[in-house]
Amino acid sequence: MLNVMPSFVYLLLLFYIPMVLLLVISFWNSGFMSLEPAFTFDNYRKFFQNPNYLKILWNTLIVTSGSMALLFVIGYPIGYYLGRMVKRYGSLILFLMIIPVEIGFLVRIYAWKIILSKTGIISSFLVHIGLLKEPARIFLYSRTAIILVLIHEWLPYVVIPVTIALKGIDPSTIEAARDLGASGFTIFRKIIFPLSIPGLFAAFVLIFIPMLGEFAIPTIVGGSSNYMLGNIINNQFMAAGNWGFGSAIGVILLSASVLLIALVIKISGLEKLL
Amino acid sequence: MSEILAVKNLVKSFGDLTAVNNVSFSIEDEFFALLGPSGSGKTTTLRMAAGLELPDLGTISLEGTDITGDPPEKRNINTVFQNYALFPHMTVFENVAFGLRRKKIDNRTIRSEVVKFLEMVKLTDKADRLPKQLSGGEKQRIALIRALINKPKVLLLDEPLGALDLKIRQKLAIDLVNIREQVNITFVYVTHDQSEALVMADRIAVMDKGKILQIGEPKELYENPNCGFVSHFIGNTNILKGKVIEKNGELYKVDIPGLTELWGVQPATSREKISVGSTINVSIRPEKVFVSKKKREETSGNNILSGTVEEVIYVGPSTEFLIRLKDGNEFRTFIQNISPENEVWDIKWEDKVFLHWRFDKTLVLPE
Repeated sequence: MLNVMPSFVYLLLLFYIPMVLLLVISFWNSGFMSLEPAFTFDNYRKFFQNPNYLKILWNTLIVTSGSMALLFVIGYPIGYYLGRMVKRYGSLILFLMIIPVEIGFLVRIYAWKIILSKTGIISSFLVHIGLLKEPARIFLYSRTAIILVLIHEWLPYVVIPVTIALKGIDPSTIEAARDLGASGFTIFRKIIFPLSIPGLFAAFVLIFIPMLGEFAIPTIVGGSSNYMLGNIINNQFMAAGNWGFGSAIGVILLSASVLLIALVIKISGLEKLL
Repeated sequence: MSEILAVKNLVKSFGDLTAVNNVSFSIEDEFFALLGPSGSGKTTTLRMAAGLELPDLGTISLEGTDITGDPPEKRNINTVFQNYALFPHMTVFENVAFGLRRKKIDNRTIRSEVVKFLEMVKLTDKADRLPKQLSGGEKQRIALIRALINKPKVLLLDEPLGALDLKIRQKLAIDLVNIREQVNITFVYVTHDQSEALVMADRIAVMDKGKILQIGEPKELYENPNCGFVSHFIGNTNILKGKVIEKNGELYKVDIPGLTELWGVQPATSREKISVGSTINVSIRPEKVFVSKKKREETSGNNILSGTVEEVIYVGPSTEFLIRLKDGNEFRTFIQNISPENEVWDIKWEDKVFLHWRFDKTLVLPE
């Protein structure tokens, strides 16, 4: 009992109490700079009855699931290469992938803004080789720019768990599959891929929740028409002063994440492997 | 009976290390064991037969067809891996069905075959479990039937009982022999445990440092080893080093420096030439020796040594003696505890005793 007390107190103060407060406040009467205890669904009604908010929810889900899918498509082959094919320098490559993560995320996002801007390196290069007549923004202030920067930010978090999962596969399991008549793609489909699912799941959990709450990237490179839920929550707390409404959106976001993770566990048959 | 698996002049090196050095053998429908200490090349030989390693030189043939270059999935040979290598994400049923599924067999046949094999090892009730929910012995049996269900011409077993504790090992060893009789498939069994090989195998190939030293039935290897290594590796023995000083027909007279002169024979299996002046090993099995406090009167045709009893170990059915010889070497022997009134029961610590054994049980082996 005594051993778990410190961690329990820590979790209680920093996670459970704020979480419960969030839930409680989301049912309070709330307006600009006002907040009174009550039990009402007004905040939720306000969200679901406004098509603009629903559009932003939709936009958030499209951007995050699209980025997630692309992250898997790009990250899995890299993880496969590092986990199963590279004999030497594997750790060096991983290390090189991690270094950019250590740079402050705001710095990185602003760097992208410069790269994608009219006077940025891509635009200049395209003008130079004659593909563009005059300098132009490349994807800047669009959904594509958000997805591009999200992928850059989160790629190492796919590659690392996938590499580890693939490295952890006992080579004799693959030899056994060959011995029993499986070759080439069948081995990947029946043995290697299923055994790397825990790595993909770890990547999903690591990435998906923070990505759902992302607000800096859409603010800086997304432009005003590509807001995500994180922007609205941020606005309600920091600008509109409507804590009740902000909390309600927070609860909606949290519930969506929990549901999605439960769904992923169910579909991937992960409970067997964990 | 006809030849099923034949390997000829196999050579395999890893970097500077020659793991398998010119290995040849031919197997019929039998339980064949590759026995040797770790690093002797037995597992590498097995992996080449499975197709998991390609030999640098030499050929492997299955029922007369050359399969040296065939990948494992193309060979009608299956393997039971040392660490089971079960698929952790599949149920026991799917593990066992894996080979049949690759052959595009219909589901009903697969189901009835898998159930039949699960019944054979009495694990029908575990069909829906995952490998991690099984005990070591259960995993081993699943690994066995997962390979057997494909009805291979040859089943390769790589130290399949190595990770299990003694009781389960002994039980599974007997199960293996029974199962082989049921399915009628040739087994090639790799082990470093000589007692396992003696119990199970019809024939044993003893390997050391990448070479096969001797191939034979267990009794032949034990009674007629062709070199000091085999006599030492199979069962217990006492080895004395000496020099041949006289040859008289089949018998060699050997001088053991600082001790005595012994008469012995060279086993017929040993082909290396021994002549007067050769340095050799003399091997004397503990059970061939009669130990007593008084020297026997009738000693013709017997070698005699004397020594001092250093340890007397009572182990129930027998009493073991560790005797220190004059030259400082140890000599181990035992007596069966048939009648407690026997005079050998008086042998105690620090007694001087005499060891007697027959010339033809004194094996003179090339170094």
